[in-house]
Amino acid sequence: MRRLLDWRGHAVLALAARLYLGTIFLVACTHKIADPGAFAIDIATYQILPLGVVNLMAIVLPWVELLAGFMLLAGLRTRAAALLVAGMMAMFTVAIAIAVSKGLDMSCGCFASQGSAEDPISWRTIARDMSWLCLALYVLVVDRLPIGIDRMLGAAGQPRSINPSKEQS
Amino acid sequence: MPGVAARVAGRRPLHSLRTALRDALIVVLGGAATGATVNALRSHGIPFVQKTAYQILVPCPEGGGDAPAIAASDPAVWQARTLLVDARTAALHRRWHPRAALHVPFDYLEATPPAQVRRIAASGAARVVVFGDGGNPDSGEQLARELAGAGIRNVRFVEGGAARLEEAAATRGAP
Repeated sequence: MRRLLDWRGHAVLALAARLYLGTIFLVACTHKIADPGAFAIDIATYQILPLGVVNLMAIVLPWVELLAGFMLLAGLRTRAAALLVAGMMAMFTVAIAIAVSKGLDMSCGCFASQGSAEDPISWRTIARDMSWLCLALYVLVVDRLPIGIDRMLGAAGQPRSINPSKEQS
Repeated sequence: MPGVAARVAGRRPLHSLRTALRDALIVVLGGAATGATVNALRSHGIPFVQKTAYQILVPCPEGGGDAPAIAASDPAVWQARTLLVDARTAALHRRWHPRAALHVPFDYLEATPPAQVRRIAASGAARVVVFGDGGNPDSGEQLARELAGAGIRNVRFVEGGAARLEEAAATRGAP
């Protein structure tokens, strides 16, 4: 297990996963930030959250998506960003699964506030979200020295760590 | 400095899970503060707590079965062992309907009474052909699906509804 985690290729694979997830989150938050009212209706359509929480969610969630997406792209506090993305993906997956199991004919509201005819939720949506959840967990678990600001700051703060062979010897 | 070496070798993450949790919490708080500020400043901001329920329209799950379309000119429509079912309103049914057509008005809000479904099931017909208003959605198609979902076999609906059926009846000289 340790050897598996030590593989240096993880940094590159995780970078690809981060760029992919970060872009998705930046794209997803755009319409929500632009029109929180429409996003609030999207949330209400799930019929899961109490009414008093719906607007707060619509106001806060897009900005958390924006920050997490930016942090993933920049490699800034990457584990925290991956943790946030994983948490949000788990939350979205559960919400969509509940809606699908109820038989609600609706759109997920992930990338645009639109009707069910354009983008209906289905088990495929759940599978897609679960694959993104897996990617976020992959980054969280294996990306130990993320390429980006984290690595630059880490190297700057600890200059002797650039040559690990000498450190270990 | 074995700790640094371990981090670079990938054995230990740059940030521990506890640090990541702390950072994540800070991001959530930061996101909440930003969102609240932006919402308060924008002209079309929404109230933080919604007082009245949102008017959401989510169609109820359709429990219907599979009911293919059939052309009004299809000879099977006019065979003796076919039960024709009129899904239209009473007024439209009175205006015109084929002889022996059973009137079962389709209601978009209420399910068809079980007694009507049992009557159709007990008819002994080889097939059930439903015709409606031919609109979009077509009441005939909706009723046909509902009947198929209720277990009635070999249910079809007339494509184009009563208007096409009336034309076909006139062509065939059917009453």
